[in-house]
Amino acid sequence: MSEGMINGKIVTIPEIATIEEIKDEIRDVKTFYLKFDRKEINDNLKIMSGQFIMATIFGAGEFAVSLPPSPENDRFHITVRAVGKVTRALHALAVGDKVGIRGPFGNGFPFEELKGKNIVYVAGGIGLIPLRSSIVHVLQHKKDFGDVYVLLGARTPEDHMYKENLKEWQGGVPGFNCFLSVDIETPGWKGEVGFVHTLLDKAKIPIENTVAFVCGPPVMFNTVIGELMKRGLSDENIYSTLERHMKCGIGKCQHCAVGRTLVCTDGPVYTFRQIKTLGEQI
Amino acid sequence: MFLIKKSDVLKLAQELSKDYQVYGPFVEKTSGQAFFDKVADVAEISLSAPIPSNPPKQAVFPQMERILSYRYDAAKKAAEMNPDYKVVPKALFGLRPCDLNGMLCLDRFFMGQEFVDDVYLAHRKSMFIVTNSCTTAFKQCLCVCMDSGPFAKEGFDLNLVDLGDNYLVEAGSDKGKALAEKMGLAAAGDAEAKQKSAALDKAIKTFEPVAIDNKAWISRVINRVTTGFAREDVWEYVGDQCFECGACTFVCPSCSCFNVVDVSSAACDGCTDRLRTWDSCSYEGYARMAGGHNPRKPVEDRRNKRFFCKLSYSQSKKYLRPGCVGCGRCQWVCPGDIGIPNVVTYVRREITKQG
Ligand code: SF4
Ligand code: SF4
Ligand code: FES
Repeated sequence: MSEGMINGKIVTIPEIATIEEIKDEIRDVKTFYLKFDRKEINDNLKIMSGQFIMATIFGAGEFAVSLPPSPENDRFHITVRAVGKVTRALHALAVGDKVGIRGPFGNGFPFEELKGKNIVYVAGGIGLIPLRSSIVHVLQHKKDFGDVYVLLGARTPEDHMYKENLKEWQGGVPGFNCFLSVDIETPGWKGEVGFVHTLLDKAKIPIENTVAFVCGPPVMFNTVIGELMKRGLSDENIYSTLERHMKCGIGKCQHCAVGRTLVCTDGPVYTFRQIKTLGEQI
Repeated sequence: MFLIKKSDVLKLAQELSKDYQVYGPFVEKTSGQAFFDKVADVAEISLSAPIPSNPPKQAVFPQMERILSYRYDAAKKAAEMNPDYKVVPKALFGLRPCDLNGMLCLDRFFMGQEFVDDVYLAHRKSMFIVTNSCTTAFKQCLCVCMDSGPFAKEGFDLNLVDLGDNYLVEAGSDKGKALAEKMGLAAAGDAEAKQKSAALDKAIKTFEPVAIDNKAWISRVINRVTTGFAREDVWEYVGDQCFECGACTFVCPSCSCFNVVDVSSAACDGCTDRLRTWDSCSYEGYARMAGGHNPRKPVEDRRNKRFFCKLSYSQSKKYLRPGCVGCGRCQWVCPGDIGIPNVVTYVRREITKQG
């Protein structure tokens, strides 16, 4: 175990990392590839799909962001939309600049329980960010899982996240399917038009022995859950990750409280059954 | 157990002041109000002062505190972290039992969950606590309903019990015992133990008029709130009454929500302080995320959160006791008349209405 870490996590004092590469994803969204300045952090950081980190942008503040890299063989990176003061400050940085990182925090997806099952991922827009890690992991270990479906909706074709990954995911791996839709008719788009739940029928998703992961804006989330349940998927087989205004990431500030749980330590991954019992809005 | 003459009791504080920064209750001359804070001279401490207006939590969890400072040189691309929370050892002298229990809630929350809060730990581990058990109820007190008083049971280094001319001095730790012995206090025996239990019986009697209203109902209300059967209209009513001022949170010995902000520091060019400040779940911005989505916008959604913290079993599991320690301050300070005792009454009224 290296200094400054507990169980593969950076808990209290941010570790300094250098931005190695910046990739434009979609409008206002960029991916930042990071490398820790201390080698033992790069070597010992333990990531689980579904977790998040706290990123410090020097002089601006700290924010929580979900981790898109898969637990193995993936460069460490974060994908961030510029929405507030701190995330805009990150977007203003260049390759070679430094940031501070704490984490990874949170529970992560329960892969052990999912072995042998079909998995349906439904994402709206940047809702693909928290799901990417899990999708990459499942693709790497495809033989452990049943059929896999990735359904991604976005406003226009330009708004589809992770275009390189999408190409790979649509590349015809047996039992691994990826469907895209756009909300509004766009010249040059020959694929599906309509909200992402229309892809459920197009993809003919299985219901037996299936779990679904749903991430996206609240309206999309509620519609997709409704459609999945109408088709017979039970609420305990639907997973999502919740987003909250996190200030500490380690269960102390209580800003992320949802019902009796704290998203940073009990979540961010919840089944829809759990979400219903928390008695709060998404 | 030891004994100390009443007129000598502040000698204990005097002795502690050699190694610790002493905090204690005192009555402010102009307002006549009691506060709990640092004292320049231990003679200011009044052990007969009523329950202080503010809880002692700022001694472990200051209202605003630097938890980190860092320096970033943008040109050289060099960053330097400095976990800068040097703390001074503090002695809390004359803490009331409810406030001690509030601090024990904070201890279990900050140090007993998955992660330990290093800053809190630093404050807490160098602390000396002398409690002052209550031999009479103040008009707002409801510790007897919340199992946090009137006498302190655990968690102190020394506990004082008023026995008339003397204070009984109970040691709750090796540190406490060592101090009592160093001061050469006389040993107390069976006679004083009997006096103590008589004093406790007498003290509890004085609570009856204030507590009778809620004593039997709090556990019932905790059950309702935990199981989600407290009716929506109670929360709506409570929400309507709330001014969103945050006062209840700040006077509560067991409330500990905080916000974190980075502000540039005058110490050097490129220096930034990371500060944590008290926050309140009653504020509209509490759960609002960057981009504007606010999952807890209506005030009743936010208000119900505080009472959930204080009155639900799931939160009690973190504190190993109810989150409310019955100090009564929120009842006293709330301009909307929705302190804990009143909310208990409202939930209870709804239960009886439903039959
Ligand atoms: S909830 Fe009210 S009565 Fe209970 S400990 Fe907090 S301030 Fe005191
Ligand atoms: S003191 Fe009363 S009015 Fe003020 S925030 Fe608390 S409950 Fe609301
Ligand atoms: S982010 Fe602070 S408690 Fe969850």
